Amino acid sequence: MKLLAAILLCTLCGTAWGHDLSADNAAYVQGLTGPAPGPFLYLGAKHMFTGIDHLLFLLGVIFFLYRGRDVLLYVTLFTIGHSLTLCLGVWTNWQVDEHLVDMVIGLSVVYKAFENMGGFDRLLGAQPDTRLAVLVFGLFHGLGLATRLQGYIDGGDGLATNLLSFNLGVELGQLLALTIILIALLQWRRSPSFARHAFGANTLLMCCGFLLAGNQLAGYLLS
Amino acid sequence: MTAAADKRRILRASAAALLVAALVLVTAVLPAEYGWDPLGTGEALGLMGMSEAGETALRAQPGRWRSDAITFALEPFEAVEYKYRLQAGDAMLYRWSSDTQVLFDMHAEPDGAAPGYAETFAKARSDSGGGSYTAPFDGIHGWFWQNRTQQRATVTLETRGYYASATEFRDGREFEYELTGDAKDQP
Repeated sequence: MKLLAAILLCTLCGTAWGHDLSADNAAYVQGLTGPAPGPFLYLGAKHMFTGIDHLLFLLGVIFFLYRGRDVLLYVTLFTIGHSLTLCLGVWTNWQVDEHLVDMVIGLSVVYKAFENMGGFDRLLGAQPDTRLAVLVFGLFHGLGLATRLQGYIDGGDGLATNLLSFNLGVELGQLLALTIILIALLQWRRSPSFARHAFGANTLLMCCGFLLAGNQLAGYLLS
Repeated sequence: MTAAADKRRILRASAAALLVAALVLVTAVLPAEYGWDPLGTGEALGLMGMSEAGETALRAQPGRWRSDAITFALEPFEAVEYKYRLQAGDAMLYRWSSDTQVLFDMHAEPDGAAPGYAETFAKARSDSGGGSYTAPFDGIHGWFWQNRTQQRATVTLETRGYYASATEFRDGREFEYELTGDAKDQP
């Protein structure tokens, strides 16, 4: 139950704050020209570590993964997906609406929760490839990262360094967050309450996903 | 559990998830984030106004502070353009004056815009102007002056703010200035 409370709390906080780079960080990196691996590495890590939408999706992905090999496989697929669109999106300066991308990211949490609840299996009678889903949603998560970074990165020299530093930071932040989530999850799985509340937890996860998506939709429509 | 009961459970849970999310969104998130309060709950919970609280009057400027003055001589019917490179949100204070009335057009060209595209903020005949300017987008921002009198005009521009370079356009040519903050004079 503590985990559930924590998820809800984090989502509310995440929704309230968004996870834009803070104004001071933004002003600082905007003033930079040329390669600045340190700041961009830090920003990437911070963005991922404080990005509740990315974290909830990861939680959904590893929720029922019991073997280390599977965790590694799925997280790798997610990493490939988001790195691809992060790099391509920033490199080609692909302009997409960040609210819409973030809405899809919110819906990726809904999707994963629905999958964990057995929705595809039981309700629709067919389970889309779970690995493909993680990869494809990874692409959207990367696009979301790209829209953030585009606002702060200087297109001139240093672009490659800064982009790769940000990407590396994202992976470090992800590793750190994932470790914490995994430890909590492993702990929870040991208790009998896991089986009882797994369905409820994914319902809550879905609710958070809807909330994130709704907030972004509102942002798209109202601002 | 039967398959049918299972289905009902998943459907019910999904509907509940959507409903709760919509409820939280409408009662709390919309009022707090966007100042939109369809049910009046934002007012009741004291959430209204939160979305404006983040808009502070202060904007930290990381760039170097510049202070420049430049003087242009304009022969009859000669024109000059002088623009600063500013990023969106960068601010500048300016004052210009001329010893005779000139036509001016204060405008900006966004980066990546079609050639010749400009957004005009003020356009008139005057012998002076001044104010503050905050760049709405990345690009070059500044003035066009034209002397439409029969006598020579001398225009002086003073600026303070956060810009790195300036470009002068005259007779179809461009002169790029890396600004050092020193006063410049141009005959």
